[in-house]
Amino acid sequence: MSSNQEPGMASYAGIVIGLMIIVVIEVILTYQHLPVRTLLFSLLCLSCVEAFVGIMYLMHVKYESPLLFWTVFPATIFVLVLLNYVWPDAYRMARMSLGK
Amino acid sequence: MSESELTMATGHEVLMEASPYAIEKKKLGMWIFIVSDACTFATFLFGYGYMRVGSHNWGRPFEFSSILNGIVMTFVLLSSSLTMLAAVRATQTGQKASASKWLGLTMLLGTVFAILHLREWLKMIGEGWRLFYNPMGGAAQFGATFFSVTGLHLTHVVSGVIALGFIARGYNQGRYNASHVETAGLYWHFVDLVWMFVFPLMYLMNAR
Repeated sequence: MSSNQEPGMASYAGIVIGLMIIVVIEVILTYQHLPVRTLLFSLLCLSCVEAFVGIMYLMHVKYESPLLFWTVFPATIFVLVLLNYVWPDAYRMARMSLGK
Repeated sequence: MSESELTMATGHEVLMEASPYAIEKKKLGMWIFIVSDACTFATFLFGYGYMRVGSHNWGRPFEFSSILNGIVMTFVLLSSSLTMLAAVRATQTGQKASASKWLGLTMLLGTVFAILHLREWLKMIGEGWRLFYNPMGGAAQFGATFFSVTGLHLTHVVSGVIALGFIARGYNQGRYNASHVETAGLYWHFVDLVWMFVFPLMYLMNAR
Protein backbone atom coordinates (compact mmCIF):
# COMPACT_ATOMS: atom_id res chain seq x y z
CA MET A 1 0.00 0.00 0.00
CA SER A 2 1.28 3.43 -0.80
CA SER A 3 0.42 5.23 2.39
CA ASN A 4 1.46 8.64 1.02
CA GLN A 5 -1.60 8.59 -1.27
CA GLU A 6 -4.05 7.79 1.51
CA PRO A 7 -6.45 10.46 2.76
CA GLY A 8 -6.05 11.86 6.26
CA MET A 9 -8.27 11.05 9.23
CA ALA A 10 -10.42 14.12 8.49
CA SER A 11 -11.25 12.70 5.06
CA TYR A 12 -12.03 9.31 6.58
CA ALA A 13 -14.34 11.00 9.10
CA GLY A 14 -16.07 12.72 6.15
CA ILE A 15 -16.51 9.38 4.40
CA VAL A 16 -18.01 7.76 7.52
CA ILE A 17 -20.36 10.72 8.06
CA GLY A 18 -21.39 10.40 4.39
CA LEU A 19 -22.20 6.73 4.98
CA MET A 20 -24.28 7.69 8.03
CA ILE A 21 -26.20 10.23 5.93
CA ILE A 22 -26.98 7.48 3.39
CA VAL A 23 -28.36 5.35 6.26
CA VAL A 24 -30.62 8.24 7.30
CA ILE A 25 -31.81 8.59 3.68
CA GLU A 26 -32.61 4.86 3.65
CA VAL A 27 -34.73 5.24 6.80
CA ILE A 28 -36.55 8.27 5.36
CA LEU A 29 -37.29 6.33 2.16
CA THR A 30 -38.65 3.44 4.24
CA TYR A 31 -41.35 5.67 5.73
CA GLN A 32 -42.41 7.20 2.38
CA HIS A 33 -44.74 4.20 1.82
CA LEU A 34 -43.19 3.42 -1.56
CA PRO A 35 -44.20 0.26 -3.44
CA VAL A 36 -42.15 -2.70 -2.14
CA ARG A 37 -40.18 -3.15 -5.37
CA THR A 38 -39.32 0.56 -5.59
CA LEU A 39 -38.23 0.60 -1.94
CA LEU A 40 -36.15 -2.57 -2.37
CA PHE A 41 -34.48 -1.20 -5.51
CA SER A 42 -33.74 2.15 -3.80
CA LEU A 43 -32.34 0.52 -0.65
CA LEU A 44 -30.18 -1.91 -2.64
CA CYS A 45 -28.79 0.90 -4.81
CA LEU A 46 -27.89 2.96 -1.71
CA SER A 47 -26.38 -0.12 -0.02
CA CYS A 48 -24.25 -0.79 -3.10
CA VAL A 49 -23.04 2.83 -3.04
CA GLU A 50 -22.13 2.40 0.66
CA ALA A 51 -20.34 -0.89 -0.06
CA PHE A 52 -18.43 0.60 -3.01
CA VAL A 53 -17.29 3.63 -0.99
CA GLY A 54 -16.37 1.40 1.97
CA ILE A 55 -14.40 -1.06 -0.15
CA MET A 56 -12.55 1.62 -2.11
CA TYR A 57 -11.72 3.95 0.79
CA LEU A 58 -12.13 2.22 4.19
CA MET A 59 -10.65 -1.05 2.87
CA HIS A 60 -8.07 0.88 0.82
CA VAL A 61 -8.67 -0.91 -2.48
CA LYS A 62 -8.32 2.44 -4.27
CA TYR A 63 -4.72 2.58 -3.04
CA GLU A 64 -3.81 -1.04 -3.84
CA SER A 65 -2.67 -2.54 -7.14
CA PRO A 66 -5.52 -2.42 -9.71
CA LEU A 67 -4.87 -6.13 -10.28
CA LEU A 68 -6.36 -6.86 -6.84
CA PHE A 69 -9.57 -5.06 -7.79
CA TRP A 70 -9.85 -6.76 -11.17
CA THR A 71 -9.13 -10.19 -9.71
CA VAL A 72 -11.53 -10.03 -6.79
CA PHE A 73 -14.56 -7.98 -7.76
CA PRO A 74 -15.69 -9.15 -11.23
CA ALA A 75 -15.59 -12.77 -10.02
CA THR A 76 -17.52 -11.92 -6.83
CA ILE A 77 -20.12 -9.92 -8.72
CA PHE A 78 -20.44 -12.79 -11.22
CA VAL A 79 -21.22 -15.18 -8.33
CA LEU A 80 -23.78 -12.74 -6.90
CA VAL A 81 -25.46 -12.43 -10.30
CA LEU A 82 -25.61 -16.22 -10.61
CA LEU A 83 -27.42 -16.42 -7.25
CA ASN A 84 -30.38 -14.72 -8.92
CA TYR A 85 -31.37 -18.09 -10.35
CA VAL A 86 -33.60 -18.53 -7.26
CA TRP A 87 -36.24 -15.94 -8.21
CA PRO A 88 -38.30 -17.92 -10.77
CA ASP A 89 -38.75 -20.67 -8.19
CA ALA A 90 -39.58 -18.14 -5.45
CA TYR A 91 -42.37 -16.68 -7.63
CA ARG A 92 -43.56 -20.23 -8.41
CA MET A 93 -43.84 -20.82 -4.63
CA ALA A 94 -45.72 -17.56 -4.21
CA ARG A 95 -48.24 -18.57 -6.91
CA MET A 96 -48.62 -22.00 -5.32
CA SER A 97 -49.24 -20.51 -1.86
CA LEU A 98 -52.02 -18.39 -3.35
CA GLY A 99 -53.51 -21.50 -5.00
CA LYS A 100 -52.95 -20.24 -8.60
CA MET B 1 11.64 -13.70 -15.63
CA SER B 2 14.43 -11.37 -14.55
CA GLU B 3 16.27 -11.83 -11.30
CA SER B 4 14.83 -8.59 -9.99
CA GLU B 5 11.41 -10.23 -10.12
CA LEU B 6 12.55 -12.99 -7.83
CA THR B 7 12.96 -12.81 -4.08
CA MET B 8 15.07 -15.16 -2.02
CA ALA B 9 13.37 -16.72 1.02
CA THR B 10 15.64 -16.19 4.00
CA GLY B 11 17.49 -19.28 5.14
CA HIS B 12 15.69 -21.76 2.90
CA GLU B 13 17.36 -21.02 -0.43
CA VAL B 14 14.02 -21.17 -2.24
CA LEU B 15 13.32 -18.79 -5.06
CA MET B 16 9.84 -17.24 -4.84
CA GLU B 17 8.07 -14.93 -7.23
CA ALA B 18 7.04 -11.53 -5.91
CA SER B 19 3.28 -11.17 -5.32
CA PRO B 20 1.60 -9.82 -8.47
CA TYR B 21 -0.80 -7.94 -6.19
CA ALA B 22 2.05 -6.11 -4.41
CA ILE B 23 0.52 -6.89 -1.02
CA GLU B 24 1.55 -9.16 1.80
CA LYS B 25 0.40 -12.77 1.84
CA LYS B 26 -1.73 -12.29 4.96
CA LYS B 27 -3.62 -9.43 3.34
CA LEU B 28 -4.19 -11.48 0.20
CA GLY B 29 -5.36 -14.36 2.40
CA MET B 30 -7.76 -12.00 4.18
CA TRP B 31 -9.12 -10.80 0.82
CA ILE B 32 -9.74 -14.39 -0.26
CA PHE B 33 -11.54 -15.02 3.05
CA ILE B 34 -13.58 -11.84 2.62
CA VAL B 35 -14.69 -12.89 -0.88
CA SER B 36 -15.77 -16.32 0.35
CA ASP B 37 -17.50 -14.81 3.38
CA ALA B 38 -19.27 -12.25 1.18
CA CYS B 39 -20.63 -15.16 -0.87
CA THR B 40 -21.80 -16.85 2.36
CA PHE B 41 -23.67 -13.72 3.48
CA ALA B 42 -25.06 -13.26 -0.04
CA THR B 43 -26.38 -16.83 0.03
CA PHE B 44 -28.11 -16.19 3.37
CA LEU B 45 -29.62 -12.93 2.08
CA PHE B 46 -30.77 -14.55 -1.16
CA GLY B 47 -32.29 -17.34 0.94
CA TYR B 48 -34.17 -14.69 2.92
CA GLY B 49 -35.33 -13.08 -0.32
CA TYR B 50 -36.45 -16.46 -1.64
CA MET B 51 -38.50 -17.14 1.49
CA ARG B 52 -39.98 -13.67 1.47
CA VAL B 53 -40.98 -13.65 -2.19
CA GLY B 54 -42.39 -17.17 -1.87
CA SER B 55 -44.63 -16.27 1.13
CA HIS B 56 -47.80 -14.27 0.55
CA ASN B 57 -48.24 -13.39 4.26
CA TRP B 58 -44.75 -12.25 5.26
CA GLY B 59 -45.75 -9.41 7.61
CA ARG B 60 -43.81 -6.38 8.83
CA PRO B 61 -42.93 -6.87 12.49
CA PHE B 62 -40.60 -3.94 13.25
CA GLU B 63 -41.97 -0.86 14.97
CA PHE B 64 -40.05 2.42 14.86
CA SER B 65 -38.35 1.66 18.20
CA SER B 66 -36.65 -1.36 16.59
CA ILE B 67 -35.67 0.70 13.54
CA LEU B 68 -34.25 3.38 15.87
CA ASN B 69 -32.26 0.69 17.66
CA GLY B 70 -31.01 -0.46 14.25
CA ILE B 71 -29.97 3.09 13.32
CA VAL B 72 -27.99 3.42 16.56
CA MET B 73 -26.37 0.01 15.91
CA THR B 74 -25.43 1.13 12.38
CA PHE B 75 -23.91 4.39 13.61
CA VAL B 76 -21.97 2.53 16.32
CA LEU B 77 -20.56 0.09 13.76
CA LEU B 78 -19.67 2.88 11.31
CA SER B 79 -17.94 4.78 14.13
CA SER B 80 -15.97 1.65 14.95
CA SER B 81 -14.67 1.61 11.36
CA LEU B 82 -13.36 5.12 11.89
CA THR B 83 -11.64 4.16 15.16
CA MET B 84 -10.17 1.11 13.39
CA LEU B 85 -8.75 3.38 10.69
CA ALA B 86 -7.25 5.57 13.44
CA ALA B 87 -5.70 2.46 15.03
CA VAL B 88 -4.17 1.38 11.71
CA ARG B 89 -2.82 4.88 11.13
CA ALA B 90 -1.33 4.94 14.66
CA THR B 91 0.40 1.58 14.13
CA GLN B 92 1.82 2.75 10.79
CA THR B 93 3.38 5.75 12.51
CA GLY B 94 4.62 3.66 15.45
CA GLN B 95 2.39 5.28 18.09
CA LYS B 96 1.85 2.26 20.34
CA ALA B 97 -0.15 3.98 23.07
CA SER B 98 -2.44 5.66 20.55
CA ALA B 99 -2.90 2.40 18.63
CA SER B 100 -3.88 0.58 21.83
CA LYS B 101 -6.37 3.31 22.66
CA TRP B 102 -8.03 3.19 19.22
CA LEU B 103 -8.08 -0.61 19.12
CA GLY B 104 -9.65 -0.63 22.60
CA LEU B 105 -12.27 1.88 21.45
CA THR B 106 -13.02 -0.24 18.37
CA MET B 107 -13.52 -3.29 20.58
CA LEU B 108 -15.75 -1.27 22.92
CA LEU B 109 -17.94 -0.08 20.01
CA GLY B 110 -18.12 -3.65 18.69
CA THR B 111 -19.24 -4.79 22.14
CA VAL B 112 -21.88 -2.04 22.31
CA PHE B 113 -23.16 -3.16 18.90
CA ALA B 114 -23.38 -6.76 20.13
CA ILE B 115 -25.23 -5.71 23.31
CA LEU B 116 -27.74 -3.62 21.33
CA HIS B 117 -28.21 -6.53 18.98
CA LEU B 118 -28.78 -9.02 21.79
CA ARG B 119 -31.21 -6.60 23.43
CA GLU B 120 -33.23 -6.54 20.19
CA TRP B 121 -33.14 -10.33 20.01
CA LEU B 122 -34.28 -10.70 23.63
CA LYS B 123 -37.12 -8.26 23.00
CA MET B 124 -38.27 -10.31 20.00
CA ILE B 125 -37.93 -13.60 21.87
CA GLY B 126 -39.98 -12.04 24.69
CA GLU B 127 -42.68 -11.21 22.14
CA GLY B 128 -42.79 -14.88 21.14
CA TRP B 129 -40.57 -14.90 18.04
CA ARG B 130 -38.82 -18.22 17.50
CA LEU B 131 -36.85 -19.79 14.67
CA PHE B 132 -39.98 -21.47 13.34
CA TYR B 133 -42.79 -19.52 14.99
CA ASN B 134 -44.27 -16.16 14.07
CA PRO B 135 -46.41 -14.70 16.93
CA MET B 136 -48.04 -12.30 14.44
CA GLY B 137 -49.53 -15.23 12.56
CA GLY B 138 -47.64 -14.55 9.32
CA ALA B 139 -44.97 -16.60 7.59
CA ALA B 140 -43.09 -18.73 10.13
CA GLN B 141 -39.91 -18.45 8.08
CA PHE B 142 -39.34 -14.86 9.21
CA GLY B 143 -37.80 -15.97 12.51
CA ALA B 144 -35.56 -18.51 10.79
CA THR B 145 -34.22 -16.03 8.24
CA PHE B 146 -33.95 -13.08 10.64
CA PHE B 147 -32.15 -14.95 13.41
CA SER B 148 -29.91 -16.77 10.89
CA VAL B 149 -28.76 -13.69 8.99
CA THR B 150 -28.37 -11.39 12.00
CA GLY B 151 -26.92 -14.25 14.07
CA LEU B 152 -24.27 -14.92 11.43
CA HIS B 153 -23.41 -11.22 11.43
CA LEU B 154 -23.39 -11.03 15.23
CA THR B 155 -21.02 -14.02 15.30
CA HIS B 156 -18.70 -12.11 12.98
CA VAL B 157 -18.80 -9.02 15.20
CA VAL B 158 -18.09 -11.00 18.38
CA SER B 159 -15.31 -12.94 16.61
CA GLY B 160 -13.89 -9.64 15.39
CA VAL B 161 -13.86 -8.16 18.90
CA ILE B 162 -12.04 -11.24 20.22
CA ALA B 163 -9.59 -11.22 17.29
CA LEU B 164 -8.90 -7.52 17.81
CA GLY B 165 -8.16 -8.27 21.47
CA PHE B 166 -5.53 -10.83 20.47
CA ILE B 167 -4.08 -8.50 17.82
CA ALA B 168 -3.91 -5.57 20.26
CA ARG B 169 -2.22 -7.73 22.90
CA GLY B 170 0.26 -9.12 20.36
CA TYR B 171 0.99 -5.66 19.00
CA ASN B 172 1.69 -4.31 22.49
CA GLN B 173 3.99 -7.27 23.20
CA GLY B 174 5.83 -6.73 19.90
CA ARG B 175 4.73 -10.04 18.37
CA TYR B 176 2.53 -8.35 15.74
CA ASN B 177 3.24 -5.31 13.59
CA ALA B 178 1.25 -2.67 11.74
CA SER B 179 0.38 -4.99 8.85
CA HIS B 180 -1.28 -7.43 11.26
CA VAL B 181 -3.46 -4.61 12.57
CA GLU B 182 -4.22 -3.48 9.01
CA THR B 183 -5.23 -7.02 8.02
CA ALA B 184 -7.53 -7.26 11.07
CA GLY B 185 -8.92 -3.87 10.03
CA LEU B 186 -9.87 -5.27 6.61
CA TYR B 187 -12.01 -7.90 8.35
CA TRP B 188 -13.59 -5.29 10.62
CA HIS B 189 -14.52 -3.01 7.72
CA PHE B 190 -15.97 -6.01 5.87
CA VAL B 191 -18.21 -6.84 8.83
CA ASP B 192 -19.29 -3.20 8.86
CA LEU B 193 -20.10 -3.22 5.13
CA VAL B 194 -22.11 -6.44 5.39
CA TRP B 195 -24.33 -4.67 7.94
CA MET B 196 -25.01 -2.00 5.28
CA PHE B 197 -26.97 -4.73 3.46
CA VAL B 198 -28.37 -6.56 6.51
CA PHE B 199 -29.91 -3.43 8.07
CA PRO B 200 -31.96 -2.28 5.04
CA LEU B 201 -32.96 -5.79 3.96
CA MET B 202 -33.76 -7.32 7.35
CA TYR B 203 -34.97 -4.25 9.27
CA LEU B 204 -36.10 -1.49 6.90
CA MET B 205 -37.87 -3.84 4.48
CA ASN B 206 -39.76 -5.25 7.47
CA ALA B 207 -40.69 -1.92 9.10
CA ARG B 208 -44.35 -1.26 9.84
